[in-house]
Amino acid sequence: MLEAQLDAIKSEVKDKIGAEDAAYIRRIILIQRICEWSGRILLMLGFLQPLLWVAGVLSLAAAKILDNMEIGHNVMHGQYDWMNDSHINSKRYEWDIACDGASWNRVHNYEHHTYTNIIGKDRDFGYGLLRLSNDFRWRVKNLWQFATYILLSVMFQWGVSYHEMAAERVFFGKKKKNRKNQVTHSELKKHFFSKGARQLVKDYVLFPLLAGPLFLWVLSGNLIANLLRNLWTSTIIFCGHFTGDVETFKAEDCKNETRGQWYYRQALGSSNIKGGNLFHILTGHLSFQVEHHLFPDIPARRYREMAPKVQAVFKQHGMHYNTGSFWKQYTSVLKRIVRYSFP
Amino acid sequence: MQQVKPAWRDGYYRAQVEAVRNLSSDMLEVILTPEKAWPSHIAGQHIALTIEVNGRLTTRVFTVVCGASFHRETKNIRLITKVNNEGALTPALSSITPNTWVNISAPKGNFTLPNTDKPVLMVAGGSRITPFIAMLEDAIENNLIHRAPVHLLYFAKPNEHVLQSELLALQKRANNFTFAVLTRQKDGDVKDYLSHFADAHWLVCGPNAMYEQVHEVAKLVRAPLDSEHFASLPTVNIESLSEKETFSLVHNGQHLSVNNQKSLLSQLQEAKQPVTYGCGMGICHQCQCVKKRGVVRDTRTGELSDSAEQLIQLCVSQAVTDLEIQL
Repeated sequence: MLEAQLDAIKSEVKDKIGAEDAAYIRRIILIQRICEWSGRILLMLGFLQPLLWVAGVLSLAAAKILDNMEIGHNVMHGQYDWMNDSHINSKRYEWDIACDGASWNRVHNYEHHTYTNIIGKDRDFGYGLLRLSNDFRWRVKNLWQFATYILLSVMFQWGVSYHEMAAERVFFGKKKKNRKNQVTHSELKKHFFSKGARQLVKDYVLFPLLAGPLFLWVLSGNLIANLLRNLWTSTIIFCGHFTGDVETFKAEDCKNETRGQWYYRQALGSSNIKGGNLFHILTGHLSFQVEHHLFPDIPARRYREMAPKVQAVFKQHGMHYNTGSFWKQYTSVLKRIVRYSFP
Repeated sequence: MQQVKPAWRDGYYRAQVEAVRNLSSDMLEVILTPEKAWPSHIAGQHIALTIEVNGRLTTRVFTVVCGASFHRETKNIRLITKVNNEGALTPALSSITPNTWVNISAPKGNFTLPNTDKPVLMVAGGSRITPFIAMLEDAIENNLIHRAPVHLLYFAKPNEHVLQSELLALQKRANNFTFAVLTRQKDGDVKDYLSHFADAHWLVCGPNAMYEQVHEVAKLVRAPLDSEHFASLPTVNIESLSEKETFSLVHNGQHLSVNNQKSLLSQLQEAKQPVTYGCGMGICHQCQCVKKRGVVRDTRTGELSDSAEQLIQLCVSQAVTDLEIQL
């Protein structure tokens, strides 16, 4: 029943997808490019008037956020593959963050979206750093996990980049046996270092050098833009997954699950954030995390029209539709992090 | 980049639509001006044309229906196609407006006029008359046709012969060129005509069945034969999907046979082919690959894919026709 209703919502929207969606993503890419280049130019004009530098930082940060969320995340989910455009598809798109796209695809697109919130299978739950439910044993390090959380947010792109290697225990810890790997550890390392180095060289060597005497202006501008993007994405993602009442699951619960049961798990494992038009765009429509988890490959802008229908279906089935204002959801995330700091 | 150069795409050439005309109720002529970098074609070759249909880039192959000299002089090329109302591309093509930018591929194919002193016999079937028009145009323009006679047998269903006025015009320009308009219903099979041309160089372009007949006779009389033939796309209906059928799958130059009962992913895995995969239910896009040719069915919805190049997910795709994919 749930399965049929949600499938119906999906197919209704799928029939509408077309020129409008293609034009939308192209427009967003254009805006992103404009933000990026005007940001980079404004950073160099800081010596004329420091406010120009501030505008440059904000513009570059906006470009990086759009690239990460509305473009990168969504394109790499395959939301625009139907366009057959070799520049806008999940196979080829590479984003402006430290994480190698293919690695993200494996961990996020495959593991996280297939095994959402199944403890032991979805390694996104707490990122191996934070204890966010009673499913994990308390350890002393959890006492200062609020500080760990802040550090993770500041370094978020590197956290995402390192995620797969940490999970595979490439550098530290006992390697798990019996894990089926499609990528060898040496390949993982190679991609991690080459993508990471490219990002570092671009933002902290190449563009500052191009600015000549304004080296430090540009370097610090890039650093702050990256920081703003990291904080923003981390916050949005935490609000989508770790609010007070998201549920976790056990591997046994999900053996041979039907599509309907999969929908059910996706629904209870994520939460939405209310907000305005610009807010939704800047979150890459991950403010509709529930819809995103139900329909990961539908163009994200369509989640807006799907949300009320999904909510109605949930209501009919007596399921909790987790949504709230940004501050409500964020406070609930912070509470959760603090709550599970203690045994 | 696309803001400055509309339809700029890596790996494609750009062309601007000059005119779109209806030749008859279901035949359409499109005149394109390719960008300067486009390597000109040899008469008889084809191009892949890509246009955006409701946001989706859609590609089909068309013969260039003009000689290279026409392109040199006018900077234009001409395409002619039958409009298939059920088709993905041709209905959209008919409503395309002049000055729109589209994408084309480099000219491809080696179905061109042979360099020979022998007489030439052309055999055309249905709308596949187009490469011959281009060849004749260039041959007459360059005075090549005076060396030896050229005869064209043009088969089509009654009242479905196209471009006859152009053939007449070509015939007027060159005494050595003759043609016959034929229908199987009235005039019999193509086989009945071939024996008169045993000493000629044969060119055939038409449906597969016609090619097979010509090929058979050519072997008997040892006539040199060049051909371009298309197995028409099989019609797929829901009943035919329930029966187990086997198709050929070409990937990275290797051949494999696959059936229409299991997903392509599981069959590739059974054959120990190097595929990356993930969820197995169409969520994660790990097993995605480029389908170059053929039709697949989405096992979740039963939807059939386009027959041209597109991305597919192996875990939720079943073969419906022979396929070519790139892993």
